[in-house]
Amino acid sequence: MTQKRSSTLWRWTALLVLVAMVLSACAAPAAAPSAPAAGGEEAAAPAGDEITRDNTLVFAADMTDIITLDPAVAYEFGGILPVGNMYETLASFDPGNPEIVPLLAESWDIADAGDMWTMTFKLNPAATFSSGNPVTADDVVFSWNRAMEINKSPAWLLIDVCQMTKETIVAVDAGTVELKIPKAVSPNVCLAVLTFTVAAVVEQAALEPNMGDDMGESWLNDNSVGSGPYVLNGWERSSTVTLDANPAYWGGTAPAMKRVILQNMPESANRQAAIETGDADIVQELGPEQAAALEGNPDVSLVKGLSTLLAYASVNATMPPFDNADARQALRYAINYDNIITLLGGNGELVQEIIPIGFAGHVGNNPFTQDLEKAKELFANAGVTEGAVIPFTVATGTGPGGVDWATIAASIQADLAQIGITLDIQLLQQSELLTKYRAQELPMLLMNWGPDYTDPDANGTPFANYEANSLAWRNSWNDPQAIELSKQAAVELDPATRIELYAQLVEYMQNNGPFAMLYQPSRVYALRNNVQGFIYDPGDTPNVSFALISK
Amino acid sequence: MTAFILRRLGGLVFVIFGVSLLTFFLAQLVPADPVAAALGSNARDAQIEAYRLQLGLDQPVAVQYGIYMSRLVRGDLGNSIRTRRAVIDDLRDYLPATIELTMAAMIVTILLGIPLGIIAALNRNTWIDAGARILALIGGAMPIFYVGLVLLGVFYRQLQWLPGPGRLDSTVPPPAHITGLYTVDALLTGNWPVLANASAHLVLPAITLGLFSTAVLLRMTRSSMLEMLGQDYVRTAKAKGLSERLVIGRHVFKNALPPILTIIGILFGSLLSGAVLTETIFNWPGIGRYATTSVTTLDYPAVMGVALVAAVIYPLVNTLVDIGYSVIDPRVRAN
Repeated sequence: MTQKRSSTLWRWTALLVLVAMVLSACAAPAAAPSAPAAGGEEAAAPAGDEITRDNTLVFAADMTDIITLDPAVAYEFGGILPVGNMYETLASFDPGNPEIVPLLAESWDIADAGDMWTMTFKLNPAATFSSGNPVTADDVVFSWNRAMEINKSPAWLLIDVCQMTKETIVAVDAGTVELKIPKAVSPNVCLAVLTFTVAAVVEQAALEPNMGDDMGESWLNDNSVGSGPYVLNGWERSSTVTLDANPAYWGGTAPAMKRVILQNMPESANRQAAIETGDADIVQELGPEQAAALEGNPDVSLVKGLSTLLAYASVNATMPPFDNADARQALRYAINYDNIITLLGGNGELVQEIIPIGFAGHVGNNPFTQDLEKAKELFANAGVTEGAVIPFTVATGTGPGGVDWATIAASIQADLAQIGITLDIQLLQQSELLTKYRAQELPMLLMNWGPDYTDPDANGTPFANYEANSLAWRNSWNDPQAIELSKQAAVELDPATRIELYAQLVEYMQNNGPFAMLYQPSRVYALRNNVQGFIYDPGDTPNVSFALISK
Repeated sequence: MTAFILRRLGGLVFVIFGVSLLTFFLAQLVPADPVAAALGSNARDAQIEAYRLQLGLDQPVAVQYGIYMSRLVRGDLGNSIRTRRAVIDDLRDYLPATIELTMAAMIVTILLGIPLGIIAALNRNTWIDAGARILALIGGAMPIFYVGLVLLGVFYRQLQWLPGPGRLDSTVPPPAHITGLYTVDALLTGNWPVLANASAHLVLPAITLGLFSTAVLLRMTRSSMLEMLGQDYVRTAKAKGLSERLVIGRHVFKNALPPILTIIGILFGSLLSGAVLTETIFNWPGIGRYATTSVTTLDYPAVMGVALVAAVIYPLVNTLVDIGYSVIDPRVRAN
């Protein structure tokens, strides 16, 4: 009997051990890395300022792409949004205005120093970090050097676009930073780059003791050392980023929303439900169907804003038939643009040039409407006859503006079918499509492009300059005139001349380039009716400033 | 028993080796560049090349596999190409959500499936039995995504009786991390509001995920019980004057249990795979969603991590079931 009992006991023990093994697979080590650093978290919420649902903003969006909260590393929409609300740059944009305005720097000066440009920034003496310490020139130099040394995704903006090096950034005194850039770099372009989060200023004294062996990259995922209106409360990796108001914010009054919760919600149907029930105060990005469903809802209002993306069809300029300029022009005349805009259901505007609406240098001229006779004639000139079959590669899934790529492709396919040309649509996973595109292997494809910084050069160079190894190169379009124009326009300092140069480039590309530019998609936000002060500013970093919002 | 467990663990090594080999070489067949996918459309060639070198992807495939396996032996699953974190850290963040959901669905399955099966068997061919069988039919035939959408539509959007997608309300901070299962952690730290919120959030996804397996278990329990009820020893026990409860509980149910246990083990596997869809519908940040994102971005170290976890969980659950047999059935013990 005793023996039996002990063997039963042993069996139950074994069972428990195995259950424990399964559970321990997911148990974290005792010292969880997500534990807040001493004093880091609680300092955020001041005593007496209780956080309630009324002063909390819940912002739901697809933030699956978020991988870091370090301004030197963040380069994804999901990461840049919180980072841009916690950290500040020397200069910034005002909503709806392509002019660059002061932020941490109260003024700057661009001077010709012989073989270089010297950009001198005077810091705003009132600017302080969330710790209360002033923002100094040493912090700026430290931050930029750190971003270049870490050298992750966004660092090329400083290293290649601004051509910054350690030696060319100098703290002249506590309130003055001097940056020297080569003459080949446009100071305008560099200034635009400096508005992006990679150039944000971190507090050296707060970060240095916590740098560890990765320059503080992982520490900044759980702590913030910026001067912005919000500080980091915590990042629950799989679901939420929580920001708390910086009570001592130097740039005006403290934010009305004491806490902002960024909720990762990848499915747009879930986002629709969350705004309907009031679980979320703002949801980002709804497809045409969800937007239509919310249209008559009295508790919810929709805000549509053009993004900076451009959707286009492009062709490889060394593969027949599109090695002929007439064939490329024929394609632009064959497309029924109205139909594509209708498919978008209001989620996009017709743009037939390489510079998006909202950017300096945007011309606003859409010269193409469908003209099948003309298209047929141009195709004939290029030796393309009825019955020609052209492979057309298209990504699976949803394109910008919330319509499937395949739907837009089918519309273009139907257009060309009317003049006897067959587009053979090949659907590929986006990553696979990109690999082939980069290898110059695709005769014709559908894609979109988002500028890396708010300056026309961020589109001019990739679309026109073959030597930049970007879009012109991927489509094997090596055109000396386009290359020259894009280079000239990039470095031109006189605003009026610069805009004129971009107008020339835009027109040249419209008649010779390998692109049929299609549309600029909108981003649709839904807001609960009590939300005020919401602005979507696609050209600025961040796109949405939580400090402006109240309920 | 020790030898039995050791044998099982030995088998596990082969399973892990096979799964890793298969996933690794299948990933090589995809005609796309995972690094280019991770860095996106705007990345420059130099950047892609630098990251490729950093990841060691310039090495021959066999060498890469060797490096992977030598790390795996030390418990290192490598780094995710997309999130740039250690895969093991990613799994630690995503796996608990799935385990919690699967466990909750299992509880729904067992609490509904077994009692309803017993009741149906005891009331054979009455309206109760018919009702239970219709319920089983519906539960088995409804696709997960439909059930999920209907439940959300009715109980969250219309009636607002239960919370919507997610593991917690956005405004409720998660409990201190101990196991990562919010309900368990809230219980361990005595955080009752979080326990209530997390439990409420579990109800709809657990029912959605558990409905199919409830239907299967109900039928299995019913038929297994019916088979035992017809046995001679039951008549003998009744003839001895034992109470109905004692006969059903000690004799019939205990003997009907082994096939039920087997089916529970199998159902656990189907729950894990069904969790992928449920996680999507209920915005549940679990391993299914992590796996889907990883697959579409060709993040194969992450995909391999998920595959290996699944490869370890299945044999573990099977072993649990086997040990369960020996607890309830002395004949298995003798062998």
